[in-house]
Amino acid sequence: MLKIEHLTKRYGDKTAVDDLSLHIQPGEIYGFIGHNGAGKTTTLKSCAGILQFDEGEIMINGSSIKKDPIKCKKDLAYIPDNPDLYEYMSGIRYLNFIADIFEIPADIRQEKIRRYADLFELTKDLAQPVAAYSHGMKQKLAVISAWIHSPKLIMMDEPFVGLDPKASHLLKEMMREHCDAGGAIFFSTHVLEVAEKLCDKVAIIKQGRLIRTGSMEEVKGDDSLEEVFLELED
Amino acid sequence: MLKVLVKKQITEVFRNYLYNPKKNTIRSKGEIATYLTLFILLIVGVLGGMFTMMAYAFCGILYEMGMGWLYFLIMSGTAVALGAFGSVFNTYSSLYMAKDNDLLLSLPIPTGTIMTARLINVYLLGTMYASTALIPMLAVYWIVTGLTPAKLICGILLYLIVTVIILMLSCMLGWIVAKISMRLKGRSYITVLASLAFIGGYYFFYFKVNDYINAILENAGTYGENIKGNAYLLYLFGNIGTGDWAAAGIFTVGTAILAGLLWTLMQRSFLKIAAAGGSFGKKVYTEKTVSQKSIFNALLGKEIARFTSSSNYMLNCGLGIVMLPVFGIYLLIKGGEMYQTLNTVFSVIPGSMLIIFCTAFCTLSSMNTIAAPSVSLEGKNIWVLQSLPVSGRQILRSKALLHMILTMIPLLFCLICAQTVITASAAERIMLCVLPVTFVFFTATAGTVLGTSMPQMNWTSEISPIKQSIAVVITMFGGFIFNAVFAAVYMIAGHQIGTAVYLLLWSILYSAAGYVLLKWLDTKGAAAFAAL
Repeated sequence: MLKIEHLTKRYGDKTAVDDLSLHIQPGEIYGFIGHNGAGKTTTLKSCAGILQFDEGEIMINGSSIKKDPIKCKKDLAYIPDNPDLYEYMSGIRYLNFIADIFEIPADIRQEKIRRYADLFELTKDLAQPVAAYSHGMKQKLAVISAWIHSPKLIMMDEPFVGLDPKASHLLKEMMREHCDAGGAIFFSTHVLEVAEKLCDKVAIIKQGRLIRTGSMEEVKGDDSLEEVFLELED
Repeated sequence: MLKVLVKKQITEVFRNYLYNPKKNTIRSKGEIATYLTLFILLIVGVLGGMFTMMAYAFCGILYEMGMGWLYFLIMSGTAVALGAFGSVFNTYSSLYMAKDNDLLLSLPIPTGTIMTARLINVYLLGTMYASTALIPMLAVYWIVTGLTPAKLICGILLYLIVTVIILMLSCMLGWIVAKISMRLKGRSYITVLASLAFIGGYYFFYFKVNDYINAILENAGTYGENIKGNAYLLYLFGNIGTGDWAAAGIFTVGTAILAGLLWTLMQRSFLKIAAAGGSFGKKVYTEKTVSQKSIFNALLGKEIARFTSSSNYMLNCGLGIVMLPVFGIYLLIKGGEMYQTLNTVFSVIPGSMLIIFCTAFCTLSSMNTIAAPSVSLEGKNIWVLQSLPVSGRQILRSKALLHMILTMIPLLFCLICAQTVITASAAERIMLCVLPVTFVFFTATAGTVLGTSMPQMNWTSEISPIKQSIAVVITMFGGFIFNAVFAAVYMIAGHQIGTAVYLLLWSILYSAAGYVLLKWLDTKGAAAFAAL
């Protein structure tokens, strides 16, 4: 589903991501962990086609994000760590905008909006401008907009920040359902307990380099993920 | 602390001139000097030139009549109108709506210091606009009447007093706009309507200014005596510039007291307004049937939503939308009379009336700079478009198309009105319509190209990309310069090839240039957008 080969991204003299390779298969929830500034967001943004990278290749569902970005983006959804959405639109208008871009027929989109907005208890606020939303509401709207077009790959940067416990729980269920249906999820998090419980595979990044990757059992063995992470960071 | 905040404000205003977002580096000294020189030339050249001519028209005559004070009163009044007009929305946006207000208010910085830093920024921008009238006012007076120490010092005091008055007016009007915004729904439209009424009055005065100048010059004695008798303070105010120490002292002290009072009042309400963040009437969602839009229409709809959501954007970049129909209606009512009068005046050069009309249509169209700040206005939201399956080509074309639609609809109305007024051949009538349309195509693509090439993505107040970006300045004044060249070349030599042919050649030029720019947008522009 997602194949990252020798990804390198530099900002001036600083190498943010250094020769990173990673494969994510359909059905996998892949956690991406690392300290602040390790290169997680840069990697996710590169995969989403937001950042242009210097070396390497990123393939999404068999297509290169460099050579065929539109085809790749049709198959993916990206949720950033800070959901800066269009504040001049209402929630419903934003969702319809996203649905139009993904060419979702009117009846299907309405059914999905109804379903996800009800799940996240956002229905009554959909007519409000996004500017009036709290951080958590924006995050919920971003999640709905990601799920509305049934992407094959969903990439999320710290998706649980700002969500209330109920919404967090719901999102975890949705992530599992998505992967059980053949999709894949690649997300970054600092909440190691969540990663440990939720992820099938995990990658640990330090100073732009991947220092450990594999299934949860392979990475942590008999220790907790927190112990392994802290040990690797030292 | 204040110095740090002011530096931050100023850096933000001139960020585009100092920083190269493509290379992520500070521009070289040569580049900075070039950009700032270009900016100053455009401001000083266009506005300064206009006010220098106005100053020369008044100064000599009024001085010889012993009414130098009336000269200063008229010129200072013009500067106040210009400065306050230019600064009122800047005050509202940068004082109350700045995106970093929450951050700064959470830091251990006194509220007064934050407000003062914002106000210094407003003061400097208001002063920049007003200086285009004030500096010619003082320079022309000193040249015509000779310079003495009293005239020099009182002149400088007058300059400072006028700029502080502008700041006070901007603050009061900005405060009113903020209060309205806190209470009303659909405030962007209401703000636009209120502002248009103000602008309407402004332009009414502007177009009548020649009549007023003549009337004042013819009846200067009577007006002067009336002002002296009924509004002595105005007489005293005008006297400052002539070197009247007493008047200068009274107004310096008076202005300082008023400014202090206003500052105190504003400081009391600043926190409340800045922290309010606008009010949103509670709308309950009811599901409605929606129809699926094409990708391009969705992008265009997004651009329309962005434009109509911001009174700053509509007023600063879409004034032509109002001015074109107003001119069209004016043509319907008084166009015949105006056409005949001007035709007699310009009868020496055949077809010059059509050129004047075309210049007017294009100049009014140039008041629309919708496309130029459009990329910058994506700001922190840019990730949305960059992560969606849409090409840079579609995005940039939707931005250019919005500019074209919003300019061409009122332009076509204006052109239809003009057809009822002019006397011309069929070919000339067609070209009268074709040229402005091609000009709009050119300016829409040029604005988008400039906006994509010189983006300003990290702003804390949207007024920054809307009003202070290089792209907007070049698009607007560049349009004016093109129009001036278009008219001048015809008057000098172009008329020899015939009006219709001349218009055709310029139409081909604008179309070709617009096409080249569109192709740039489709390729290099799209790549530049993806790399933002």
